[in-house]
Amino acid sequence: MSEFHTEASHGYSVQFSPFLPQRLACVACQHYGIAGSGSLFILDISTHGLKQVTRRSWGDGLFDVAWSETSERLVLTASGDGRLQLWDVTQPGPPLQVYQGHEREVYSVHWSQTRGENLVASGSWDGSAKVWDISSSECLFTCRGHEAVVYSSMWSPHIPGCFATCSGDGTLRVWDIKNPSFARLVIPAHTSEVLSCDWCKYDEHLVLTGAVDCSVRGWDLRQARHHVFELRGHDYAIRRLKCSPFQRSVLATCSYDRSVRFWDFVQANPLVQTIEHHSEFVCGLDFNLHIQGQMADCAWDETVRVYQPACLAPAQAQ
Amino acid sequence: MDRLQVLLKHVSPRNGHLAGKHSMANEIASPTSDSDVVVVHGVRTPIGRAKRGVFKDIMPDELLSHVMVAILKATGLPASKLGDICVGNVLQPGAGALMARIAQINSGIPEAVPIYCVNRQCSSGLQACMNIAGGIRNGSYDIGLACGVESMSHRSKADPRSIGDISAGAFHQDATRDCLLPMGITSENVAEQFGVSREKQDAFALASHQKAARATRLHLFQEEIVPMQSSGMLVEEDEGIRPNTTLEKLAHIPPAFKENGTTTAGNSSQLSDGAAAVLLARRGTASALGLPILGVLRSFAVLGVPPAVMGIGPAYAIPAALKKCGLSMDDIDIFEVNEAFASQAVYCAEKLGIPPHKLNPNGGAIALGHPLGCTGTRQVVSLLHELRRRKSR
Repeated sequence: MSEFHTEASHGYSVQFSPFLPQRLACVACQHYGIAGSGSLFILDISTHGLKQVTRRSWGDGLFDVAWSETSERLVLTASGDGRLQLWDVTQPGPPLQVYQGHEREVYSVHWSQTRGENLVASGSWDGSAKVWDISSSECLFTCRGHEAVVYSSMWSPHIPGCFATCSGDGTLRVWDIKNPSFARLVIPAHTSEVLSCDWCKYDEHLVLTGAVDCSVRGWDLRQARHHVFELRGHDYAIRRLKCSPFQRSVLATCSYDRSVRFWDFVQANPLVQTIEHHSEFVCGLDFNLHIQGQMADCAWDETVRVYQPACLAPAQAQ
Repeated sequence: MDRLQVLLKHVSPRNGHLAGKHSMANEIASPTSDSDVVVVHGVRTPIGRAKRGVFKDIMPDELLSHVMVAILKATGLPASKLGDICVGNVLQPGAGALMARIAQINSGIPEAVPIYCVNRQCSSGLQACMNIAGGIRNGSYDIGLACGVESMSHRSKADPRSIGDISAGAFHQDATRDCLLPMGITSENVAEQFGVSREKQDAFALASHQKAARATRLHLFQEEIVPMQSSGMLVEEDEGIRPNTTLEKLAHIPPAFKENGTTTAGNSSQLSDGAAAVLLARRGTASALGLPILGVLRSFAVLGVPPAVMGIGPAYAIPAALKKCGLSMDDIDIFEVNEAFASQAVYCAEKLGIPPHKLNPNGGAIALGHPLGCTGTRQVVSLLHELRRRKSR
């Protein structure tokens, strides 16, 4: 395991680069994100542990980070002052571009996952999600409908122009940019705030939600009246969940209970591993796309960790 | 410290729960669109027994006017916003076109609002809802009123003049001759052809009375019934329900239509007087006007069946309607199937595999009564209020 100390900054989100197997980005905030500035850390995994490649700062807290899917140099951040920042990690100085439009904290940002698109979806505490064209720096659409703050916005890895959002109003909503004026699906997913959602990478109909009620639920969008499974085990709200890029039924969650848990929802005992290596709320979590079994997470204890949980070790050849 | 408060909610699950104020809980997990046709509200009169009941001296235009006034008052919608009115009626001449216009004007609905009537027999009131929904869907207007009314105190199906003017061609084919069969005989045909026993029919009738009696006792109809003055008294409840009926009592009633038959006055629907109204709108318009949304129209289907067994229509139309919207029987929480006769209702329920607890949960036409043109609208009203109570769909 390698770790990195985000000095005086409390981790909010991590993401591995889709281009470079050893690179990851982390955003962290002063004063737990309640006040003060935010920092973007670009880190490389080396034989000597995690090394800082560069560090950028912004006047307000940075809550989420998303690598560009088109250039290994570009990374986007979402900030508490309602803006998005596009950074070139190879050039020092201020962001290349700042995108303004949200009226409150932007809590999520995600680069589209399907070919031929250069779109970004952001979710904000102003209750809306916005879709941006990064090349023209324009906000293309504002998606309204959520009745409370939006915590997460995730593009489908399968369906072009389709993304999911989840919110403090307890719903998961699915949007299609072909008709962004209303949600294609409104799923009353939990009776508590829903803090995180992600798409299964192997089933285009399956979306997972993680909520303040400590549960993860799986939703088949074709038949979304009832969840298809529910995973319980966390003792406090689930802050973020990510589906494995390698295994259909595997996911990871991190929580306000300071743990990171790994699940396999087809198993009779779906909770396969619990990792408690942080001393504060764990807010950021990601799978490395290039190295099977490698994870990164970050927490309010000012540490970023990269590790290989035993449960994700590739099966040994028989 | 707004951010702190948001974060505190995450770590204190008790504060984070949204139960109770979760306004989306009723919203079904399906695409919503401003162009959806939605039901805003539905009301009805109590249903009286025909000829000797509470509304025996009330004319159908008065029943109709009562629900028109009530639904506009309840929703606060200015009558001038109505794009059209459709009224289901069976027994009045010309399905009551004249009666309906008089009722409309007496209700204070401006002359500029048009009105017309429709007759699809027992489902006239349902057809009225679908006609208005069709008008909204094809863009003719954004809001419309669907009604159903019948006064069987004043008009009778048995009146030979009600058959109308038909050529000798009516006797050329079995199927055309079957069209002239009394309804009770078609019920006997269903019972015979599909083996629905007298016991099953009586048990079904008993259940209908028991469910309706329970609903009345628990005041479940309070939201849909608009009490009406008649002969100096206020009528608040349906008149036809027999809370004390038993299987023994039902078993003693002689067959009504055929010697050794199984259809009796006890296991058939009652002759009744009543009216109902349903306000429909485009979702976008309803939202813009701040109107509530009681239900969404997902699908509608009509199908013909052999005239000799006319009551089995729902067994064919329900699967067709489900197929159109891609839903299965299991997706449906409540079915309202008309109880013209226990024979056809039992057959439909068995053929479709509707579990008893999902079928007409607050009774049907056997207990509540069957004012022909009103029943379809009444079913929409009862169904949507019950769905809302149960938070189901």
